[in-house]
Amino acid sequence: MTTSDVLILCAAGMLVSAYLMVGQKALFATIRLYGLQSLLLGIVAAVIAVSEARYELFVTAVVTVVLKAMLIPWFLMRVIDRIGIHREIEPFLNVPASLLVCLGLTVVGYRVSTGFPESSRGVSHHLVGVALSMLLTGLFLMVTRKKAITQILALLTVENAVFLVAVGVTSGMPLVVELGIAFDVILAVLVLGILVHRIVDRFESMDVSRLSKLKG
Amino acid sequence: MTPAIADALPPIGLAVLQAAGMLAVAPLLKAAIKKMKARLQNRQGPPLLQGYYDLAKLLRKEPVRSETASWVSVAGPRVYFAAAVAATTLVPVLIAAAPLEAAGGILLLVGTLALGRFALATAALDTGSPFGGMGASRDMTIAALAEPALMLGLFTSALAAGSLNLGGLVRNVLQRGGTIHPSDLLAFAGLFIIVIAETGRIPVDNPATHLELTMIHEAMILEYAGPDLALVEWASALKELLYLTLLVDFFLPAGIATSAAPGAIAVALLAWAGKIFLLAIAVTIAESTNAKLRLFRVPELVSISLGLAFLALAIRFL
Repeated sequence: MTTSDVLILCAAGMLVSAYLMVGQKALFATIRLYGLQSLLLGIVAAVIAVSEARYELFVTAVVTVVLKAMLIPWFLMRVIDRIGIHREIEPFLNVPASLLVCLGLTVVGYRVSTGFPESSRGVSHHLVGVALSMLLTGLFLMVTRKKAITQILALLTVENAVFLVAVGVTSGMPLVVELGIAFDVILAVLVLGILVHRIVDRFESMDVSRLSKLKG
Repeated sequence: MTPAIADALPPIGLAVLQAAGMLAVAPLLKAAIKKMKARLQNRQGPPLLQGYYDLAKLLRKEPVRSETASWVSVAGPRVYFAAAVAATTLVPVLIAAAPLEAAGGILLLVGTLALGRFALATAALDTGSPFGGMGASRDMTIAALAEPALMLGLFTSALAAGSLNLGGLVRNVLQRGGTIHPSDLLAFAGLFIIVIAETGRIPVDNPATHLELTMIHEAMILEYAGPDLALVEWASALKELLYLTLLVDFFLPAGIATSAAPGAIAVALLAWAGKIFLLAIAVTIAESTNAKLRLFRVPELVSISLGLAFLALAIRFL
């Protein structure tokens, strides 16, 4: 297997995991899928670091794996354990319909990616295609799910997608920016975790659509 | 078929050899999955040869049939068995050529398997037992969803290889070398779910239960005993091995023999056994880490695989 094969395989794996997240209602399984997705992103970064001799990307890979594949899933699972809500009961759109929409979004994402000059053909075409598809899927997931945890995971999926483009196609970000993003992600997850606790305290449910009752 | 292979053995001889070999190994696969599952649950599990003992026991017994049953229920297991055996001769196992590939490719394979399923479902309806009818209707519901997904997944690979013929497909994949396309992984994920659904494994059906609310395949064959049951069990095991072999052929064909030289075939045998074992581990893990889905949620699972297969096909064109 060549380097580009590994990259394409990992990117395709990320797309599959994003797609499975849409089809999944159990929150634990969704979190595990997110962990897997982040692990694959870490592998992408590590492979690029080796193949293009950009060793600073190793830091990115390690930060990604430790933070997004281990720490955040562990934290989110703990949150779920504390509040004892394990399932996405009623999304705004049922599963087969959301899968269909995501199918269309993926096709759109892939089609748009052929327009980038960078990605005429080859690996970067697939990386941009996968990233755009994941971005759209994540946004869709954020809009159609009611549980706060799923929305956090959707946000993180979008973040993974952006990261995939940043690592795979561009010539990379300065380390300071990357670390800044990593801390942003930690903070976002912590704050959202606390927010989830507050929502559950107030409404005894994670359903964010109930927040509209707060006004007036 | 490549000339070297055709010279060494006539297709019919090769077909008989391959079908006999697959039939001989099939019960072992089922027992191995059962054993690994038991070990994961800290149980001892049945011995690896249990599949053969069961078949031998059932084949010695006298068939007991319902008084209301017609010839349909006698023919059902036999057609099911024959269809499974016929399907194995269309798939390349050890050498990169299917024995009877002149007869047809992917469409014939899917059609043959559908014929077997049809025969078993009609036979299940024939005895008039409520369980048979229920099992048949459930099995057909799942099959109606799984079959398009199976076809789409297989077509994706066929499109990449430029051949609907399974032997030609494997040869093309070998020649083309190792470039991987994202659609390969999508199609693999989709087909893996289909294999789970078609072989009656846990998220869809539970092979180890006779609880009336949940069973699908077992409900269909509840009326059978003795040699009839043995035929159905054996054919089911064969089908499972066949599906796993298909996955191996399409996505990991490396190691398969391209000539009939004994050395190459020995290597191919080891490679095939190893790959099937890896897939069996994957099936075991999938079965052990998932709970059985409610029947009404099975279409959701199958629609995921349909979506993945369709996505694979779409990305191939983009």
